[in-house]
Amino acid sequence: MIHFVRPSLGVVGRILVILLLSVTVEFCTSTLLYERASQFSLREDEAHRLAEHLVITRKLIAERAPRERATMASLLTTDRYDVRWSASAPPPPPMAPKLREMREQILSWEPSLSHSDLWLRLKSPGLQSMVVGGMVLPDGSWVHFGTRDVANGWDLAIGRVMLALIPAIGLLVIGSLLVRSTLRPVRMLAQAAERYGYGDRVILPEIGNGEVIRVVRAFNAMQDRIQRLIADRTQALAAVGHDLRTPIARMRLRIDMIPDGAMRDGMQRDAIEMETMIASLLAFLGGDESDRPFARADVAVLAATMVDDAGDHGHPVSYEGPDHLDADVRPHDLKRALDNLVSNALRHARNVVLSVERRGAHLVLRVEDDGPGIPESRLDDARQPFVRLDAARERNTEGLGLGLAIVDRIAAAHGGELRLSNRREGGLRAEIEIPLVQAG
Amino acid sequence: MTSNTILLVEDDPSLRVLTARALQENGYVVRPAATGAEMWITFNSEHIDLIILDIMLPGTSGIELCRQIRQKSDVPIIFISAKGSETDRVIGLEIGADDYLPKPFGTRELMARVRAVLRRGGLDRHAESSRRSEASFDGWQVNFPRRELKSPAGAIVDLTGAEFDLLSSFVQNAQRVIARERLIELSRTRLGDSSDRSIDVLVSRLRRKLQTAGRDAPITTVRGVGYMLNAEVTRA
Repeated sequence: MIHFVRPSLGVVGRILVILLLSVTVEFCTSTLLYERASQFSLREDEAHRLAEHLVITRKLIAERAPRERATMASLLTTDRYDVRWSASAPPPPPMAPKLREMREQILSWEPSLSHSDLWLRLKSPGLQSMVVGGMVLPDGSWVHFGTRDVANGWDLAIGRVMLALIPAIGLLVIGSLLVRSTLRPVRMLAQAAERYGYGDRVILPEIGNGEVIRVVRAFNAMQDRIQRLIADRTQALAAVGHDLRTPIARMRLRIDMIPDGAMRDGMQRDAIEMETMIASLLAFLGGDESDRPFARADVAVLAATMVDDAGDHGHPVSYEGPDHLDADVRPHDLKRALDNLVSNALRHARNVVLSVERRGAHLVLRVEDDGPGIPESRLDDARQPFVRLDAARERNTEGLGLGLAIVDRIAAAHGGELRLSNRREGGLRAEIEIPLVQAG
Repeated sequence: MTSNTILLVEDDPSLRVLTARALQENGYVVRPAATGAEMWITFNSEHIDLIILDIMLPGTSGIELCRQIRQKSDVPIIFISAKGSETDRVIGLEIGADDYLPKPFGTRELMARVRAVLRRGGLDRHAESSRRSEASFDGWQVNFPRRELKSPAGAIVDLTGAEFDLLSSFVQNAQRVIARERLIELSRTRLGDSSDRSIDVLVSRLRRKLQTAGRDAPITTVRGVGYMLNAEVTRA
């Protein structure tokens, strides 16, 4: 079954979205309220200013002779107000309720205007709305006026919105930084969980707060439990392995007393095979020797000795490499690893080459054979414990299928790895690459 | 010639009986013991030529017993252990055991070890003091109990049992010519393995391992006679 991974925002993303949403909502509501309030006071302000201007206009124009009044009106025209004088009056149009309110405000500010038949009208030339109006002078002539600067309204609003947006953005940035730092222990937890199982225990510092500390504690405790569980199992298996050796020893001594040669030899072989299985199981479990320290050893000599030994037993193994090459290793373990690789190769191939090579700060131990190799798809399986590739390779009932798994473990314990590949010329190549010097 | 008496300390009753029987069938007198206490009773009451000691015993462990025996006597000791671990082997040999036999073992293996240790006991017990210490020559260091050789650079140099035995013979007879026949005889009393490769092959392998950059191994061939370790040996 295929799981499609939905693109996920992650916790930080989600919290950011929540933050963004709440900031936006807060921002919109407050802007709306603020704008309304300020618009209200703005309008009142406007009414007052208009009232004052109208009082002065009325007074100044009324004092002039009718022929000077037009000039006066143009003199009174400012950036804000447009003023014109006319002798006749147009009929006052109906007023919008909003403007009636404005009129009230003007009149309450300047009661002297109450006898001027003041009217106001909203005009919308293009997109901009403006207030125009008129009032009657004591001699019956009319003064017309219009506001000019309503256009600024929107600009101002956008400016204010932008201004209000800056703290909101700042809040968002600070918030996301805070969320990130709050979630740092969670990220560490994720990394630790990813690393766990590939090596040592990763005990996390108990930082963070509340729930996070609890999760970290639980994780640390879980690691301990898993470790203990594995240790218990390993110990139990190892104990069984050790305990089986005494009955097998008894059996082997008893078998030696059997007079029938063929029967005796057959049983002896079986007993030895059982013994080999136990030995490889114990080796895989790390048995009794996992805590042995590293020692400087001549790996070239170690490999050459193994090749000599194989040769003495009639096996076609040859050595390629330097006469001497020192490295920090667990000699006994490394020897077991090489022995597993070489005997594995000998089971399937006619010729085996064991080579030692220095590659930079690393040591490469390579066993190559001219056997059938392993199908590419099963190369990874070959390293798994208790897996035997009998179907692919020649039937081999010996052992538990731990050979390469043990090599893999030993290589990992040396800070390196086991690589398996098929040679182009045919046959299998097994390589262990480990550092020459162990840190610490 | 009177037959050798072997003291067998093993807590598993059946294994004790079976081992005893195998030893008796091969002409040895066997005194079985199940615990350390039983062992001491026999040990103090008669002459013992060899002790076969299980490491894992109830009560006093085999390692502790070995240490106690060594304070009193130089009697050869063979350790038996189900653990089969390298650490056990090294500890056993370091506290003075003569050999180490991992469980399970067959009759043939057991007899080979017993014979070899008894023969060695008669042959070069006099070299006892050297057997349990270290020696060095030309910067090379030999640790006899651990059966370990370290190069002048301090790296462990892997030697087979036969190669180590050969090296021991050279070190114990430094700057003296050892006849080939004598070397063959010496190597036969040791364990090593059963393949009978010639002494010359062994010497050439040892030479290759003792060779360092630009320096030949300090083993000289004395034509028609034998070989000689051409270096001064200091004992530590």
